[in-house]
Order: sequence, then structure tokens, then C-alpha cells
Amino acid sequence: MAAAVTRAPGAPPAVGTELPALRLDVTATFVVATALATRDFQDVHHDRVAAVARGSKDIFLNILTTTGLVQRCVTDWAGPAAVVRAVSIRLGVPCYAGDELVLGGRVAAVEAAHAGGPEGVEVLVEVVGRCGLGDHVTGTVKVVLP
Amino acid sequence: MSAGVAPVADAVQDPAERIREAARRLVEAGDCAPRPARDPVNEPMINNWTEALGDANPAYPGIAPPAMVQVWTMGGLHGQRADDDPLGAMTRVLDEAGYTSVVATDCAQTYARALRPGERLAVRARLTDVAGPKRTALGEGWFVTTVSTWTVDGEPVAEMMFRILKFRPPPPPPPPRQVPRPQVNRDTAYFWEGTAVGELRIQKCGECGALRHPPGPMCPRCGATRPGYVVASGRGEVYSFVVHHHPPLPGREVPFVVALVELEEGVRVLGELRGADPGAVRIGAPVEVDFDRIDDELVLPAWRPR
Amino acid sequence: MSALSGAASVVGIGATEFSKDSGRSELQLAAEAVRAALDDAGLRPSDVDGLVTFSMDANAEIAVARELGVPRLRFFGQIGYGGGAACATVGHAAMAVATGVADVVVCYRAFNERSGHRFGRVAAGATAAPTSGGIDNGWQYPVGLSTPAATVAMFAQRYLHEFGATSEDFGRVAVAMRRHAATNPRAWFHGRPITLAEHQASRWIVEPLHLLDCCQESDGAVAVVVTSTARARDLPHPPAVITAAAQGSGADQFTMTSYYRDDLTGLPELGLVARQLWAQAGIGPADVQVGMLYDHFTPFVLVQLEELGFCGRGEARHFLADGGIELDGALPVNPHGGQLGEAYIHGMNGLAEGVRQIRGSAVNQVADVRNVVVTAGTGVPTSGLVLAVG
Ligand SMILES: [Zn+2]
Repeated sequence: MAAAVTRAPGAPPAVGTELPALRLDVTATFVVATALATRDFQDVHHDRVAAVARGSKDIFLNILTTTGLVQRCVTDWAGPAAVVRAVSIRLGVPCYAGDELVLGGRVAAVEAAHAGGPEGVEVLVEVVGRCGLGDHVTGTVKVVLP
Repeated sequence: MSAGVAPVADAVQDPAERIREAARRLVEAGDCAPRPARDPVNEPMINNWTEALGDANPAYPGIAPPAMVQVWTMGGLHGQRADDDPLGAMTRVLDEAGYTSVVATDCAQTYARALRPGERLAVRARLTDVAGPKRTALGEGWFVTTVSTWTVDGEPVAEMMFRILKFRPPPPPPPPRQVPRPQVNRDTAYFWEGTAVGELRIQKCGECGALRHPPGPMCPRCGATRPGYVVASGRGEVYSFVVHHHPPLPGREVPFVVALVELEEGVRVLGELRGADPGAVRIGAPVEVDFDRIDDELVLPAWRPR
Repeated sequence: MSALSGAASVVGIGATEFSKDSGRSELQLAAEAVRAALDDAGLRPSDVDGLVTFSMDANAEIAVARELGVPRLRFFGQIGYGGGAACATVGHAAMAVATGVADVVVCYRAFNERSGHRFGRVAAGATAAPTSGGIDNGWQYPVGLSTPAATVAMFAQRYLHEFGATSEDFGRVAVAMRRHAATNPRAWFHGRPITLAEHQASRWIVEPLHLLDCCQESDGAVAVVVTSTARARDLPHPPAVITAAAQGSGADQFTMTSYYRDDLTGLPELGLVARQLWAQAGIGPADVQVGMLYDHFTPFVLVQLEELGFCGRGEARHFLADGGIELDGALPVNPHGGQLGEAYIHGMNGLAEGVRQIRGSAVNQVADVRNVVVTAGTGVPTSGLVLAVG
């Protein structure tokens, strides 16, 4: 799966810049594959019968995957040279198998990187991930761009 | 590094105070012992992760995706929480107090530097805050915050604030009321279709106009078999009534009143009289129709005082 | 006088013990009662060529015939509408005998109504039967009117309202029945009379009915043997001659819920029975020495006294207050204690007591009995008999 790096290298981004949307078909396979790749073996992420028995309508994405997808939404745009310093998320509605998850971001702040860290500008991106039930995740990603 | 957290003294009776006391001790206990990752940071697990999440960043697997930090120290398929794990201990306290359900609310990770294949991680965790009881959309609960620190050879490389809500699940909805269900046939369907839409329908002969309840297929006055209906005003008076005490009946709490009501239109209809003191019901009391919704398929005629 | 009047007689009565747990099948109860009735009549199973029971009875005529070794049945049938069938079983038997269709017909009712299926509980599936009755039940059961006591209470409330009667007037029936039962060794409540205060203090079942307004629940069986009055002369006991037998169903009739008539204080179906009884027998209320009145719930005993003409409409409470239904009253009612005191066998034990009163063999025997009127279940399509000395 090739992700286009859409940010023009060189110039720092302007506050308000919208990131390209990241659209994901959250198939059952996606839910199960990402749960296992993050070593999360809780049954609600791979066993539909168990998930329904626990009151869910289906298996759903695990938190570690959501964290990784929020990060990906930003790094797809920022490119391989960007250094991720923080990912902070607040969880909303569950994202069930069969849903579509659309992640989008907006540059909220740009400032000089702190001394002692990687050089460049530190960019704060606000990210929202929406699925059929509403906001699945809201959060921020802090990256340093060279 | 602590282990044995003394149990909260039984003398503390107030449940909220017991929880706060347990939280204080766990916060004071600080970090649990570091728990080493099963595997060093490694390319195969990075590749599994990027493949599953569809992340094509070419920086991987030369470095590990930063958001993957927690993956390295996950407990795995047969994992058990360590005895001194502060989140486990706090969870037990809240479970015992009835806050048995859990939902994660916040997760904030910071990364001091990138991790490369071959590095061996360990993680330790401490309880930092327990706040509650708070009313939430899910029910009353406590927000429990922990901070985990990942180290490589003692050097902190990443930190995570993790917050869950431990809440008391709301009581399950009452089971659907089970009452004997009327048999509906082509002679009576109009009546039950009426109650379903909030209409008290009375059979009216399509020939002579006679009103009739309970209904039937042939008019006893003129012999016509063209029944229609009118929608009753719903107003009437108690013609007779009973107060049921025994035996217990499915779908009803005793005592309850069943009234035979004579409608303004002159026909009588049976129904439960709701919202009236059983001891104060009298023949002749004015009532109006009410509708007792049992479920999506059955609405019973009922009465209320007017 | 009709062609039926006097043609047939009850010549044998039989019963099991009355209990709360018979410990045997309903078919066994039926077979025991029928055999006892035949023994009482001095007849053998091979003499029987007709069997009649209630449609509510669980024991088919052929099953009872098998147990007794009855070799051939020429006449059999089941009467509907619960306890309303009681006198009609004998009425149908009398018609069969009078017309020569059958010679010896046994009428029976057997059940484990206490230890098995209890009528006082909510009948599961009452609204499910794909019949007119199932549809009828759909107007009452779903809205919470779902026990016999509740259906009678609806009539009783209106009766109290229209006639200024009180719960104590109902209670006087219960007190009298328990007083009669107290001296009947076969009665469940033998030796256990009650006071009016105890009636008033008993818990509500369905207002305005107290527990002691409701008859007991019983296990047991009763059977009676009907044959021609001519043949009866050759049998051991004096015949109880059936001088009248009638059934009745009124306008806009329902089973227990005839609530849609102009008036709710009478039992027009019983009034219809009463008029036929007096006409067939050629007598009137004044010619009756004992009343065997169906007493599943006390209020309808008052209404029966009025419909049968023993007192005027709404005046039964005065009749009761004057001791009218006591053993020495104007119309001794149910000297055996009725269903409130002896046992609830769907009216058939009252019918048997009527035969004993004619024979002069009852434990609480009324003097100089010449005519006995017997009624059946009330609030339903019903039936009645006049029995007379031969
Ligand atoms: Zn008509």
C-alpha cells in the first residue's frame, strides 16, 4: 500500500494546512490483522461471537492500532524524515468491522524545535478519525520536520 | 520499587473513601518493578505491524514506528498482570466496589528517541491519579490514570499516560413484559391495529350503523357482514371494576385495577385502569383511554382517570 | 309437563374421597367413581351403554369404558362451558333414556384440580386456541382479567353498587356453607366452621372477593347413574326422579365475561333455565325443599336465589340475613357444605347430595324433601335439574 507524501519538502507548513484524508476500509480482516500485529489478543478484537456476547455489535479496532493509524495519518503527509515526538489521543465511539474510518488532520501550531532534540520545526497536528457511529478518535501528533 | 500494598483497613466504610485510600497507597507505592519485553526490537515484528496498518513509511524497519512502543511489552496471548501492577490492583478495588466495567478514554505517548532493531526494552508503570466518583454517559465511574515508562538499559526512551474509566454498568433494562397475547384474526385485526396507532376503535356495522364490542363478523341486528369501525372519543365511565391481588400475574404488579368502562358511544371495553389509587376507584368515575405498550407488536387498551 | 319429565331417574351415586392430592391419575379417579356409582345402583359395567362427561374432563368416554370393561357404548358425549355442564350431563342422559337411545347412562367428572392443573391460576395459552373462545379470551386475559375469581368479581362489584349489598352479604353464604360442612364427615372443612368476622378478615383475592368468598380446590371424582324410572323401581335405592332438565345461554353470551349486556346484576342464562325447570316439573319455588346451588364464588349464590325466584331481584341479602339458606331456613342450600365447604368437583358433588336428599340418606338431611332444585356453573352457559321423590 503506497502512501503519497504530499507535503512539499523545504518550507515549513502554515498553520491551518489540511492534511490529506486517510480512508480505511475496516474489514474484519483488518481488525484481526492489526490486533495481532500489535500483540493484542483480547477476544473482542478477533472473535465475533465473543464480542457480541460482551455487548458489542461486532469485533472492533484496538487502541494500539488506533494510535498507530493516527501516527500514520501524519507521517504519510510529513514524510520519512519527520520525527514523531508524541501521539496523544482521546477515544470516542468504537470502530466496528465493516465500517469505514476516515482520518484527517490540520496543522495547529508550528514552532522552532526544542533544544536538545532533532533540528527543524516542531509541528502540532490535530487529528480526527470518524467512522459510521461518529468520532472514533480525536488527538494530536507532534512531529519535528527537518 | 514497591510490591506489597497493604489492604485498605476494613475500618474505612465509605466506599468512595475506601477507593481513595487504596488509590493513595498505590500512588505512594510508585513504580512497579520493570518488566522486560519478550523480544528485542526486531524487523519481522515491525514488518508485521506496517503490513497490517498499511504504513509504507520507508523509515521502517530501520527504526521502529514510534507508536509501536507499547507493542514490544504487551503481555501476549497468555499474559498475566504482575502482582505489583498498579492498574491491576486498582482495578480489583474498583471491581469490588461495583465499578466492574471498563473503557479506555485517553492515551498520550511521548518518544525521547527512535528505537532500532536489537534494542531491549523494559516497562514499568505507576498509578498517578484516581478521580471520582463521576457521572458519565456510561454510568457512575472513576477515571484511573497510569504512567508507563519504557527504558533501554535504564535509559528512558518513551512514556505513556493511559486513562481508563472504571464504571458501574447501568442496571440491565427490565425484561420485556410478558402478558397473554390476544389472538388476532380478520374479525379483530382492526381493533389491535387501532391500539397500535393510539386509536380505540369500535366496530360499526357498515349497513345499519350499530356499534358493537367485542366485535364479530356478522351484525346481530341486521345480519350484514360489512363491519367497519369508528374511532371512539376514548371518554367513558367506570361501569364496574376489580382490584386484583392474587395470584401474581405475568407482566403486572399487584394490586392493580381492571375496569369495565362504558364509553360515551355506549359500548363497554375492558382495560387496566392505571394511575388511580386502587382504594379510591368508584363506579361512575370518569376515565379516558390510555394505551399500554407491551412491545412493538402489542398495545393494550387501558384507562386513566380524567 | 314435558315428555322428558319423570321419564328417567338417578339411581346410583358414587364418588372418591375428596382431597388435596389424590395420589392417582384422573382416569383412575373417574373409573373408581363410576364403579362406585354402579355398585350403588346395583348395576354392572355390562349394563352401561352410555357415558357423558364435561368437555373439560381429561378422561374420554372410551377410556373410562375401557377401564370398566363396558362392552358397548350407544350414547356418549361431552358438554361444554366448564361447570355449566354439571346438570346438563344428567339432562342429556335423561333425554337418551327417555327416547330409548340408551338404557343406562353414567355421568362423571374427575380431576386433580388441586394437585394438578389449578383453575385458579392463570390459564396459559387461554388466548392461543384458534377458536372463537380463544378470540373471546383475547379481550380479557391480556388486560389482566385472567382468573375465574376476577371475572366473577367484576359482576359482584356491580351487584354491590346497584343493590346496596356489602361484602358481609357474600360472607353469609360462606359462613352457612362452612357451618353445613362442619357436620359432614366427607367435607374437607368437616369440623371447621367460620365466622363472618373471619370471612371479613380473610385476605383479598380480587376485590370485592375475599379468600373465603372463593371455593376450595379439590382432587376427586363423582359419578351418577341414570336409567328409566320404570327400571329404577327394581333397583336398590328409591329413585331420584328427573322431573325437569334444562340448559340455558342468554343474549350476547360469553364464558364468564358476559359484560356487554344492558344489565350486569343478573344471570339471564340461569333465568332461562329456571323458567324451563318450573314449567317442565309443573312446580314453583315454593314447592322446593332443598336447593343445591353452584357455589364456586359466593356472589352468584345471591343471584341464583333471585333468578330461581326464591326472592326478588336485589333481595337475596335479606333472604340470607333472615337465615333463608340455613338447614332450618326457607330454602336450605347445600346441606353437604357445597363447594365452599365439602369439595369442588365442578358441581357434581352437589348433584349427588341432591340425590341423597331425595333418598333421605344425607348427613344433614332436610325433613320431608319432595323436590330438589340443582344448578350448575354460573357466569357460563349453564344447566339445571329438578329431582323429585318417585
Ligand atoms: Zn347491522
